[in-house]
Amino acid sequence: MSLNLDPTLGLPVAFLVDDEDVVRDALAWLLRSRRLLSEGFASAEAFWQQLQARRGGDAAWPSAPLCLVLDVRMPGTSGLELFERLVDAALLPVLPVIFLTGHGDVPTAVAAVKRGAFDFVEKPFSNNTLVDRIEQALALSAAELSRRRELRSRARRMAELTERESEVMRLVIEGYPNKRIANALGISVRTVEVHRARVFEKMDVKSAVELANRLRDPPA
Amino acid sequence: MSTTSTAVSPQAVPRQRRGQRLVLWSALFLLLLVALTLLVVLTARHEDSRVQDQVDALAADAAAKVRSDLLRNQQSLQALAGHASTPERWRADATGLLRQNPELLRIERRAPDWLISLAVDSPLAPPLFAVIGRDDIDIDAVAACSAARRSAAPVFSGSYFVPLAGGGGLEVIDLCLPVLNGGRNEGYQLATLSLQALLSSALTPEQARRHEVSFIEGDGARLARSGLPRGMGVYRSDRLVELPGTRLRLRIDSAAGPPGPIPNLTTAAVLGLSVLLFTLALLLAGDVGRRARAESLLAEALAFRKAMEDSLITGLRARDLQGHISYVNPAFCAMVGFSPEELREARVPPYWPPELAETYRQRQDMRLAPGNAMQSPSREGVETLFMRKNGERFAVMIYEAPLVDGQGRHTGWMSAVLDVSAQRRIEDLSRQQQERLQATARLATIGEMASLLSHELNQPLAAIASYASGSLNLMDQPDADTPALLRQAMERVAEQAERAGRVIKSVHDFVRRREQLHETIGVDLLLDAVLPLVRLQARKSGTQVQTDVPQPAPRVLCDRTMVEQVLLNLARNAIQAMEHGSDSAARVLRIRVRQTHERWVTFYVADAGPGIDRELGAQLFTPFFTTRSDGMGLGLSLCRTVVEQHGGAMDFDSPVPGTRTGTEFRFTLPAAPVPKPAAIESGAPQILST
Repeated sequence: MSLNLDPTLGLPVAFLVDDEDVVRDALAWLLRSRRLLSEGFASAEAFWQQLQARRGGDAAWPSAPLCLVLDVRMPGTSGLELFERLVDAALLPVLPVIFLTGHGDVPTAVAAVKRGAFDFVEKPFSNNTLVDRIEQALALSAAELSRRRELRSRARRMAELTERESEVMRLVIEGYPNKRIANALGISVRTVEVHRARVFEKMDVKSAVELANRLRDPPA
Repeated sequence: MSTTSTAVSPQAVPRQRRGQRLVLWSALFLLLLVALTLLVVLTARHEDSRVQDQVDALAADAAAKVRSDLLRNQQSLQALAGHASTPERWRADATGLLRQNPELLRIERRAPDWLISLAVDSPLAPPLFAVIGRDDIDIDAVAACSAARRSAAPVFSGSYFVPLAGGGGLEVIDLCLPVLNGGRNEGYQLATLSLQALLSSALTPEQARRHEVSFIEGDGARLARSGLPRGMGVYRSDRLVELPGTRLRLRIDSAAGPPGPIPNLTTAAVLGLSVLLFTLALLLAGDVGRRARAESLLAEALAFRKAMEDSLITGLRARDLQGHISYVNPAFCAMVGFSPEELREARVPPYWPPELAETYRQRQDMRLAPGNAMQSPSREGVETLFMRKNGERFAVMIYEAPLVDGQGRHTGWMSAVLDVSAQRRIEDLSRQQQERLQATARLATIGEMASLLSHELNQPLAAIASYASGSLNLMDQPDADTPALLRQAMERVAEQAERAGRVIKSVHDFVRRREQLHETIGVDLLLDAVLPLVRLQARKSGTQVQTDVPQPAPRVLCDRTMVEQVLLNLARNAIQAMEHGSDSAARVLRIRVRQTHERWVTFYVADAGPGIDRELGAQLFTPFFTTRSDGMGLGLSLCRTVVEQHGGAMDFDSPVPGTRTGTEFRFTLPAAPVPKPAAIESGAPQILST
């Protein structure tokens, strides 16, 4: 099974945070065998530092789909603490988290999933299943990235509309005929038609239906 | 100072009381003496007056009797004077009269010119005027007759003395009656009366035996007397007997002398003795009462003591200096199963197990030897073995004390005997239980470890599985790099398999219960055996584990399994102490080992937890004391037991010396003897190595 993602996005990367070098290396090796890029971190703190550095003030970050494979139990900052920070930073949609849990941590992990984690995988895990889940997580991240890009382009187009064009567009979406719109705005039907054509052109659509679809929020 | 000076010494009160009692007793005797003296005096006085009264009464009686006798004689004589017509007839009548009245001595008839016409002497007495003629001593009679003629009535003369033949004499009195015929004096009739005879008839013979009666003159000279004794002159009474023409003084003198003190003293003595007797009786009664009270108290005390001895579950046994049993209480009998008689009569105590009797005898002889007599050999008690009647042996604890009588002589030994067989059984039982608990505690540890162990094993297993899956993935789509990648994967797999094996082995070594075998082992090996498990647990709470062992590692002589358990317990406690509250970055467990002495190696296990407060610290090594809801509270007490079994000691410091927090437990284990070459190398003196 291979990952089909929006080719316009960057290469997907899975972050591996586990204090056990062996597990990290083995997992990286496995992902590589599935042709997935991975990046390992020995502690939650190291990962968090790196994340902050890369994110910076860039609103468009990240440019590529991401996911995080996180060990629940680690010395120092634990997996759960890191997870809480990600929740607070509203990073979960672009950085889905898959918890790795030991025998005793299942309830903790379940609670984490309820709070928004993508999934948890109990050790010892079935390796390819884990990789499948990682790919799903990356796909989710990619979808979120696409949605955000769409939202950004729509906002950019709408910003180009004049005030009158915005009013005409709102009424068009409501489904009113041109005559009604002209009456409502106190302008001639002809003028409405001109505005309408300008809106279609600026919003890059061919019909009122298409316009309505574009303005509807993309699926989360 | 003031308190001591005002304080009354304990002896002062009885002494004061004794003084009071002495004063009271003296006063009592003095009063008694005064009373008795008064009694004697009063009795004597009473006796005195009584006797005097008697004498007075008697005198009055006697005087009256004399007087009535005289009057009777007067009447008889008047009758004689009136009737007698002829001289013959008068003579006959007079003679009859004389015969009837012994006091009459002589009757005369005289003419008016005093001449005696007729005279009759009493036939009962010798003739009166034989020595001296009547004419010589009739002056009193003439005087009386003259008075009689003048008064024309009988008149008595004064008394006068008439000497008699033989040197004696009589005091007599005359009675003169004028004989009148038609108013004309025809002469006189004269009678002479014996005063002595008058007196004789004045008293009854009874009275005469105790009193002297006499007529006396004014100057007290006795005229006549009667009565058997002579008067003592103490009790006397005088009475005047008034007669026509004269008076007679009659005196009664009692033969009783002055009242002697002796009879009264006797009375007094009897009285005094009675009083004393009564007092004594009272005292005796009081004494008897006190004695009875004391006896009842004593009986009560005895009953109490008996009940106490009987209710004691401690056996009591008294032995004399020869080792013979003189007393046993019921508890002792119940303990050994022999009756008191059997125990007292036995030459050798029947509760001595036969196989030990000789040893016991020697021990007893030594104990009873004169030199050891007053030493108290077993204040702390001696444990020994006794035998019941049914042959069962049982352990007893004996506490012995010397038996000292009222004079301070050492007369034997009193022993308290406790049956400790049940206690021993319980101790055995609890020892077994403790061993079981120890095993259980170990199992609990192991059980807890098992979940951690799965985690620890999961790491290598997960890695192995990853490499295997990845290899399969690679082999599905081989390219030029595939063989090299596969080789790398296989190497990793082998490493991880080996690692898993080590984990299994360390657990296996730990769980396997060894015989208590002390072996020489390097401290590093001990730690190596424990650390995987410690690290496992440390991970759970994100605790760092630091070890500090000098190189070369010291070697200790110990039971490896047990010591590993101790290390594990301490490490686990330390980790748990840091689980709550402390910052996760500060969670560091330090295990340090130092050779602190040439014979001792000290282990330090320190945490950075909140520390242990003082109250908690005092109870820390108490079995079943725990601060955890799920703990059994055996860990530390077992640890200390193990360390002490090795001859070491266990202690702790909170906070850790040199810091402000945490707790450091430390224990010592005997160091393994240093090998010879090392000793030479270190320049140790040769003497030590021999």
